[in-house]
Amino acid sequence: MEPILRFDNVSKHYPNGVHALKGVSFEVAEGEFISVIGPSGSGKSTLLRAINRLIPINGGTVWLDGQAVSAQRGTALRQLRRKVGMIFQNYNLVYSLSVLQNVLHGRLGYMGGLKGVFGLYSEEDKQEGLDLLKELGLEEFAYNRASDLSGGQKQRVGIARAIMQQPKLLLCDEPIASLDPSSAKTIMDLLKSMTQKRNIACIVNLHQLDVALKYSTRIIGLSKGEIVFDGRPEELDDATIERIYGTSRENLMIGGHGNDQADPAHCA
Amino acid sequence: MNAEMVKYASGTAARPARSERTKIPVKCRRRNRFIPAFLAGTAVLSILSLLYLDIDWAKMASRVPDIGLVFWDLFHLDFSNMDLIFSSLVETISIAVLSLLYSLILGILFGMLAARNIFRLPWLSVLTQSFFTFLRAVPTPVWVLLMLVCLGMGPEAGVAGLCVHTTAFFTKSFAQSFESIPDETIEALEVTGASRLSIFVNAVLPAALSQIVAWAGMRLETNFSECAILGMVGAGGVGYVISNSLQGYDYGTAGVAILLVFLVAYSIERLFVRVKKKFY
Repeated sequence: MEPILRFDNVSKHYPNGVHALKGVSFEVAEGEFISVIGPSGSGKSTLLRAINRLIPINGGTVWLDGQAVSAQRGTALRQLRRKVGMIFQNYNLVYSLSVLQNVLHGRLGYMGGLKGVFGLYSEEDKQEGLDLLKELGLEEFAYNRASDLSGGQKQRVGIARAIMQQPKLLLCDEPIASLDPSSAKTIMDLLKSMTQKRNIACIVNLHQLDVALKYSTRIIGLSKGEIVFDGRPEELDDATIERIYGTSRENLMIGGHGNDQADPAHCA
Repeated sequence: MNAEMVKYASGTAARPARSERTKIPVKCRRRNRFIPAFLAGTAVLSILSLLYLDIDWAKMASRVPDIGLVFWDLFHLDFSNMDLIFSSLVETISIAVLSLLYSLILGILFGMLAARNIFRLPWLSVLTQSFFTFLRAVPTPVWVLLMLVCLGMGPEAGVAGLCVHTTAFFTKSFAQSFESIPDETIEALEVTGASRLSIFVNAVLPAALSQIVAWAGMRLETNFSECAILGMVGAGGVGYVISNSLQGYDYGTAGVAILLVFLVAYSIERLFVRVKKKFY
């Protein structure tokens, strides 16, 4: 079966000399739930943003649904982008708008011309948005301002907006990093169930190793811009964890001091 | 310097009588030299201006009591011309409101072009910004005079002249408001495949709306008071009545008109304070 996403020797270096990705290659098939783990500055965010060209890459090719992302411009790029939903650490909603309006933003990529510009959504889209909010337990907040919601609720709106795009791939950039443990669990459960139900492949950047082990079907470990591990969660042993984070597993559990040590080494 | 510091250190340790020569410094070692230079520059410029203008202080002092007399006359309010004052005041308000409305539309449009984060075309932002900086550099009365020449006497020239400056002002302030929207929010809309224009209308504009209302309120106030001045150059409105009656020594009528201008300006301000509270 044709993979949804294929990284072919992708590299990225920033103008300040940081090599965020060094010859990264992997494939993602339908319905996979992949966690990308690694210390801060290991290139997780760059990897995710290279997929929908929020960050242009310097070498190699990203193939999305059979098309090379870096070759696309303008309308073609926008049509490719709407196949990929994205969820952010800080939710990135438009807080002065209603919850439903934020969810419907997911449809903007499908609406051409003036309809898209003035946000004249079709009745079917509105119904779908309300159904999604119901599925996420937010139906009573549909007409509240997004700023009224709690963090966990805001992230659920973020999920609804991404699912509204009817994506083939869902990217989650630290989706639970700003949430309390209980909201974090809700969000991870929802991400897992909603993507499995719709057969959407999901790539999640995570700082929490235990969460990655619990939810993923596959884990990719990044260190200094290179893939040092790519396999099933149960294959991830202590030696590999030490290679990814540059510190032992015990150190990771006490507030992640290992991350701080890895940073200067990476920048140098 | 080191020797002195040693002396202080030993001085505090033993607490002897204060030495006769040194005082303990309290200011920063590296002081900002800009402020004294600025003050000195201002002083030099003031002296030069005084010399150039050659003000006749004696004459000015002899006329000071007249200020009180004129204000006394102004307070003898004369309500006989109320219909004229009232209609001219309504005309002034209409000019201010109309110019605000047109400028709002144009300001949002050009502000969108001038903001760096909407279309991501640096040349477009720079071009728009610098064009409107030029328009802003020329004061409103000059624009109104230009429009009077082009469009003839009357309120049309007032509206057009005010629009130029107000649009230039709005373009800059709205562009700033649009640029203050977090990049992440725009990124979130970008990944849905929405077009730049659609991102602007659906996300940036609603997020910046409360700021736009604040700017508009502030500008309506300014436009109204500027409008009162513009009447004096012939663009109609209450300013024309004020300057006419002052020149005809009809202080009573002028007093009523000035009082009304003050009242309207004050109410506009109070009104927008309330509107802004509702918006947040």
